[in-house]
Amino acid sequence: MTTRPFDPTLRLWLLRLGTVLVFGLLLSRLAVMQFVRGPGYEQQAVANRVRVVLSEGERGVIYDRDGRILARNTVRFGVAVVPANLPDDPDHATSQAKRHAVYAEVIRILGEALSEYERTVTPTPTPSPRVFPPDLFPGISEPPAPTLLDLETIDRLVAERETGSAFAPVLIAENLPREVVLRLAEETYRLPGVELRLRPMRYYPAGADTAHIIGYMGPIPEETRTTYAEKGYSADAWVGWTGLEFTFEDVLRGRPGRRVIEVDVNGRERGVLGPETPPQPGHNLILSLDLELQQAMREALVAGINPKRSESAVAIALDPRTGFVLGMVSLPSYDNNIFADGITTAEYKAIAEARGTPLLNHAIGGIYPPGSTFKMVPAAAGLEEGVITPSTLLDDPGIIYLPNRNAPDNPLLAQPFVCWIYKYGGAHGAINVKEALSVSCDVFFYKLGGGWYATQFEGLGIDTLATYAQYFGFGELTGIDLPGEHRGLVPNPRWKRIAKGERWVTGDTYNMAIGQGDVLATPLQVALMTMAVANDGYLYRPQLVAAITDASSRLVRQMEPELIRRVPVSPQAMAVVREGLWMAVNTPAGTARAAALPGISVAGKTGTAEFFDPDTPRDGKGNLPTHAWFTAFAPYEDPEIVVTVFVYNGGEGSEVAVPIARRILEAYFDLKARDETTGTRSVLDRLLTPATETPAP
Amino acid sequence: MSRPNWRHFDWPLLLAVLLVSILGVIMMISAVQGDPQLTTYPRRQAIYVAVGLALLLATAVLDYHLLTGFTVPLYGLVLVLLVLVGVLGKRLFGAQSWLDVFGLFPVQPSELAKVVLALVLARYLAARQEHIGRLGTIVGALLIAAPILIFVFLEPDLGMTIVLAVELGFLLFVAGIRWSHLAGGVVGLMAAAPLFWSILQDHQRTRLRIFLDPTADPNSYFNVQQALVSVGSGGLLGKGFGQGTQNQLHFLRVRHTDFIFSVIAEELGFVGACVLLLLLLFILWRLWRLAEQARDAYGRLLVVAVTAVILFQAVINIGMNMALVPVTGLPLPFVSYGGNAMLSFFLMIGLAESVAMRRQKINL
Repeated sequence: MTTRPFDPTLRLWLLRLGTVLVFGLLLSRLAVMQFVRGPGYEQQAVANRVRVVLSEGERGVIYDRDGRILARNTVRFGVAVVPANLPDDPDHATSQAKRHAVYAEVIRILGEALSEYERTVTPTPTPSPRVFPPDLFPGISEPPAPTLLDLETIDRLVAERETGSAFAPVLIAENLPREVVLRLAEETYRLPGVELRLRPMRYYPAGADTAHIIGYMGPIPEETRTTYAEKGYSADAWVGWTGLEFTFEDVLRGRPGRRVIEVDVNGRERGVLGPETPPQPGHNLILSLDLELQQAMREALVAGINPKRSESAVAIALDPRTGFVLGMVSLPSYDNNIFADGITTAEYKAIAEARGTPLLNHAIGGIYPPGSTFKMVPAAAGLEEGVITPSTLLDDPGIIYLPNRNAPDNPLLAQPFVCWIYKYGGAHGAINVKEALSVSCDVFFYKLGGGWYATQFEGLGIDTLATYAQYFGFGELTGIDLPGEHRGLVPNPRWKRIAKGERWVTGDTYNMAIGQGDVLATPLQVALMTMAVANDGYLYRPQLVAAITDASSRLVRQMEPELIRRVPVSPQAMAVVREGLWMAVNTPAGTARAAALPGISVAGKTGTAEFFDPDTPRDGKGNLPTHAWFTAFAPYEDPEIVVTVFVYNGGEGSEVAVPIARRILEAYFDLKARDETTGTRSVLDRLLTPATETPAP
Repeated sequence: MSRPNWRHFDWPLLLAVLLVSILGVIMMISAVQGDPQLTTYPRRQAIYVAVGLALLLATAVLDYHLLTGFTVPLYGLVLVLLVLVGVLGKRLFGAQSWLDVFGLFPVQPSELAKVVLALVLARYLAARQEHIGRLGTIVGALLIAAPILIFVFLEPDLGMTIVLAVELGFLLFVAGIRWSHLAGGVVGLMAAAPLFWSILQDHQRTRLRIFLDPTADPNSYFNVQQALVSVGSGGLLGKGFGQGTQNQLHFLRVRHTDFIFSVIAEELGFVGACVLLLLLLFILWRLWRLAEQARDAYGRLLVVAVTAVILFQAVINIGMNMALVPVTGLPLPFVSYGGNAMLSFFLMIGLAESVAMRRQKINL
């Protein structure tokens, strides 16, 4: 059987129709993609290629008043390989052999240069103890040791990186001395893929001497990420964590540069889109602080305290005419350079929890009973309120008995209050306010503060006393340009009721009048009180930064003295208080005779503040341990410096704190005399003079 | 034997082929910018087009009936070459599909296989037109095609294997396979699918998996995603020649071969891509028309084989650029870079023109 040949016409038409349908499908898909979904794809195409690159401007430098550098920028040297630029060969084995030759050569050059460097360069001996106690953190304060990876590790890291972004460098050596890196730099031309890396970092030449003031930097903390991101920080930027680095972050940082670039699929820059904003360097800070005085203060403290007994100590120097800080030392300190490389949690914990809490600036963040230094407050308040006159005599029999409120006639229930002199078997007798300040009579101030029933003497009372304490700056932040300040505590009946659930009694007022009981102050608040006494009641906000300059050292901003308030005490009353402080230093019975300086009249107030601490035992006679205080100003006639010294568990203020303050005052006036002899004017003075010329009257 | 009749030569078809090829050469210039290793590719592609044109004209002049004498030797040659590829071929994209003849230039035997399969099956089926309804005829065709398909598959070149299978399918369909046989074949293929999956190479399975689940492998998915972004961001008029950011910044990969359509859609926009699609559709329309007008079954089946290959490769390549089909690495006819493919497509158009010049007068 033969069949007719097959007629393919129908099937050919079916195929032709199918062809048209398929192409119609392709065309409609094309139209949907390019028109309906086009905008979305266009956005993706832009996101692919456009990158915004931020570059931090160079951070500002921090100088002391004489132009000594306290914080500057430096670089840390390292070596990296860029996988994409390493020798390559289609054959894997050849490729590996070529690369290994490069690694081996880098390791050889760096190894030789490092051992040569270690042979020839002897490390500079540490000039003076940088932390107190000096051996608190052996090892951590050393600069980090150079690291150099071995060939196998490099090979592994490069292989890992290549599967991801082959253009991102792999760090193979870090913390290299400059000399070693320069050796390698001469050879890089024949080492494809090897690059030198510079990592900008902060360097603090004065280290532990100014650590609490300058602070340090670190990566952006997680909880503040969005805040910094809104200010245009990149995610891996470093920011000030504490100290002036923190407070003046915005000033020091300057403006970041911004470039919009086009990148290819490998992230390599292929072109610049739009105008470029170059980075602007940050502004510099010029402090009122004098590094030489600061170091003298640290030396005076270290020499004057017994580190076995005192776990911390503070010295502050202020200019009472302006509030500017001349020096501020808190011991123990730490070398803030250890934070420049980042620090492990364990290392941080070790420092933060070490004896005396080195990271805490005790001058502003530590609160202690101010002891007898506080007596300036009731003295000034009593004179101003008319409770006493300069000639009012109050009797100190050595010990007085405050009758029990509920049983006023039962002498067995009366509470005894002693003067410090009582335990030496003495009494001050009837004395006036100046004498009372000079000999630091406790009974005089008990009576002045809380009154004395036997003579129907009306004292100040707690409310007036607390009000004047606040006038002098107690119980509030001073507003110093540093983070971490504590406001202290000025107690009053309301506070006691809430905090302790007890009624305020006259005994509480007695205790507060001599700076004991519940009143707590930072050493800086004590310094501010002294400032107000010294300058007739002008309470200035303490400031460290005196001026801001731009990168070309032109004055951008001069910090003006800022008056917190005028303490409402008449100049006459203040003069009486000052005279009492002068007598403390310059009369035979005074408690601070050791502070006297030849040719300079010093005035001051000692303090020996009892404190209760379960870890600090009482002495053999059952007395509570005491902090040693001394706060002074000089010259008496025209005060230009306030010095406040605090020694934790230091013992007697007159024995421990006074000699330290004397050394500091001595150093201050010696430095001043030296500058006057040589005719040297500080950088700060020269900078400010054109701007501070007093207008013609 | 009939003399060539230049009045029957399909000039519009040749013109469309040349326009598409020239568009390809021009876009090649843009696609290889910034790639120092590929700077010679546009010039080489132009030379392939010129050689291809000569080959096309020579083939057109040659009476396709004369080729019947060479069918069996050519079939043997292709099989030998495919075996050689398995032994000597160099590795390229995981497939041994290239043979470096005397180190002169690489030959891709599977491209030649497309032409030879057309010649041998067209001759076989044309000679058995009266017995096309018999199952034996169909099995015979399958047996002829099987060695070529198996060797190409073993290279392994999945994409080209499917092209050859589609070519076989179109030939059987136009030759007049019974619907029942056709349906049985389709059912058989579906039943064999699991077995087929098990013998796929890893990279082929990966490609299929990524197509079915684009999140499976972010690295491979990247290429397809970037192709979509390239096409989609082209808009109506495109970003301009040499201005396509996806192309120029190399977000788009394998720009000169697999994803040349994306380059065209990005830089020339909807208008440019439309022109290309319509030119290809025009070429296919003319080829179907030639198949209808062929003087005899042999000529018709030759043209059908040519049409099937061009249609299938064009749709698969463009569909892959728009994520409609898996990435198979099949070049876009006349546009993607590649000497072997270019010469084989021009040769196939030459065969079609040879049939055209000897077609009967339209007597309707």
